Amino acid sequence: MASLPSIPGELASADVASGVVRLTVREELYPLDAVFAAAFTFIKDCWVVVDRADAAHWAIALTPKTAGANAELLEQWVGGFANELLACAYRHRLAKDHRATVEAVTAAALAGALGPPSLDELEDFDFSNEAFEDPLGIAMSWEDKYGKKAKAGDAAPAGSTDDDDGGAP
Amino acid sequence: MRLAPLGELATRHAVAFRFRAIGDRVLVTNPEGRWLVLTADEFDAYTRDRVPADSPLHARLAGANFLADHYDLRAAVEMVRARKRFVHHGPNLHMAVVTLRCNETCVYCHASRADMDAVHTDMTREVAEQTVDFIFKTTSPFVTIEFQGGEPLVNFPVVQHLIEYALDKNRAAKKQLEFTMVSNLAMMDDAKLEYLLSKKVQLCTSIDGPAPLHDKQRVLPMASSYDHASRWIKRINDAYAAAGLDPTLYHVEALLTTTRATLPQWKEVVDTYVALGCRALFLRPIDPFGFAAKTGPKLEYPRREYLEFYRRAVDYMIELHGRGTEILERYAAIFLTKILGGVDPNFLDVRWPAGAGLGALAYGYDGRIFTCDEGRMLDAMGDDAFAIGHVATSKYRDVVGHETVRAVTIASNLDATPDCVDCTYQPYCGVPPSHSYKTQGTIFGRMRESALCEVYKGIQDYLFEKLATGDAATRATLERWTTHRPREHFLQDGATGSPGPGTKPVAPRP
Repeated sequence: MASLPSIPGELASADVASGVVRLTVREELYPLDAVFAAAFTFIKDCWVVVDRADAAHWAIALTPKTAGANAELLEQWVGGFANELLACAYRHRLAKDHRATVEAVTAAALAGALGPPSLDELEDFDFSNEAFEDPLGIAMSWEDKYGKKAKAGDAAPAGSTDDDDGGAP
Repeated sequence: MRLAPLGELATRHAVAFRFRAIGDRVLVTNPEGRWLVLTADEFDAYTRDRVPADSPLHARLAGANFLADHYDLRAAVEMVRARKRFVHHGPNLHMAVVTLRCNETCVYCHASRADMDAVHTDMTREVAEQTVDFIFKTTSPFVTIEFQGGEPLVNFPVVQHLIEYALDKNRAAKKQLEFTMVSNLAMMDDAKLEYLLSKKVQLCTSIDGPAPLHDKQRVLPMASSYDHASRWIKRINDAYAAAGLDPTLYHVEALLTTTRATLPQWKEVVDTYVALGCRALFLRPIDPFGFAAKTGPKLEYPRREYLEFYRRAVDYMIELHGRGTEILERYAAIFLTKILGGVDPNFLDVRWPAGAGLGALAYGYDGRIFTCDEGRMLDAMGDDAFAIGHVATSKYRDVVGHETVRAVTIASNLDATPDCVDCTYQPYCGVPPSHSYKTQGTIFGRMRESALCEVYKGIQDYLFEKLATGDAATRATLERWTTHRPREHFLQDGATGSPGPGTKPVAPRP
């Protein structure tokens, strides 16, 4: 592997004979999603491998699909990848910082697309009187749940927990 | 386009915008599809959060909803809702293949036509009725039944029966019903035309360019297919005019299939369409379906050459338009309606989620149901991946909720598609999963390698270049191409209100 003329050797190197260029980028700067996004833009023209170089760096290998790669061409691939990676990292940040807004807008815009339930769905509804588990007493009336203070010795109503009077004497 | 070092790029002041170089400027789009073209310096200031609050640029950014502090949530919601209005309805376009038989032999036939003696590929009256019964189960209040083939005029009695049966059924259903027919017109005669006009069937045909090119690609034994098509186009247009219909709105639509031989003839193609009285030209690249899968090596071309062809042809159309000739390019009109109009014309091949199953269904001559016409074409090639039922036995909800429909819906979600999720054109785009499946072997297309993605990106690059740098007359022409004038004459009696949410413009299948 040889270094490329205008690119620091610790960032990229090229094997001109094999037509492959290898890059290493810092993980703290470039999240994996951004590396994948940038790498994806090269799949038409290159064979692409993304791997971990070490604990702090990603490694990317680009091998142009067409034969006859020279140092100049490989250097262009490196430059192109670097620019795309920067753009992808920025887009990644934008998407991450504004994800909640985008999701809120989309959800509000599409609300109602499902429409009201149809008769088919009504047919599937369980109209039986079978009891179901209700450990929190959600289906109970207020009176059943909180209404009458239990006399001493009475069993506490289902679902009630502590003394509703807040422990007053 | 230049970006500052990552550490100097700000995000909190902005929205989740996307960006792309357009010449020496930068196009930015926001999630709801509003856009601005910025100079390099403006883009630099925006990305570094260095736009003075009292500057014109700040006003532009705020006005187009690009600033977090001024973000108009309600406006964003309304625009996304307008762009996705088609998800609120069920399938409205229903393509009925009434026969595979065809009298013409096209070098690229996408429909895998059958010979004229293959009568077993004719739809029967019984299947036609079952097809209509199934169509009217759609939850959509808008129904367009499109007759396709093969050549639908070959099985004209069943076309008539299907129309009569549908009209009868619609007396109770009261859908907003329309009929369209895609025909090469060579088997048209006076009686058929009189019937089709009386039933308000919208007619569409194929024109591949000047007569020599058209006849070479669309072979009609012992005759000129161009002569037949052009003669009937004129007859039909004259009939519309005689009925008092506005000829600028009511005329035969035609469609082009671009082959390698078409590319140098961009001017002749446009001139041919203008001479035939067509107001729209759809510069479609060749598809990989049907016979084209085999003849592709002779007909195909690099998509960059297609995009050169496209630019030359559309430049010429803009020039003609400026001189008073009404002609538009259909792809441009579709994208511009989204870009300038803020709504989606619901062209099923350029939307997301995809129209397959959700917006359209295709019905084979034998009653089998497919998510889309391309799915039916693939089936004819021996791959039934997009077959989702049969009109005689399937329940509507089982078809529309079929696992294949769900799969293509997920696969066509550009918010979850690599590359598309970051693409500046994401609000306006969409690639049919059937195309990715045929060309790449997966419904989850790899867009960087997709010929269709290359075409769509190239067209939108061209349009934004024109919008950014074109003169006032050019921009006015592009604005005018977004004008939608409903053809209410084609609505069946009893239908009320404005036409439906739009359909894929009738697409002739050779």
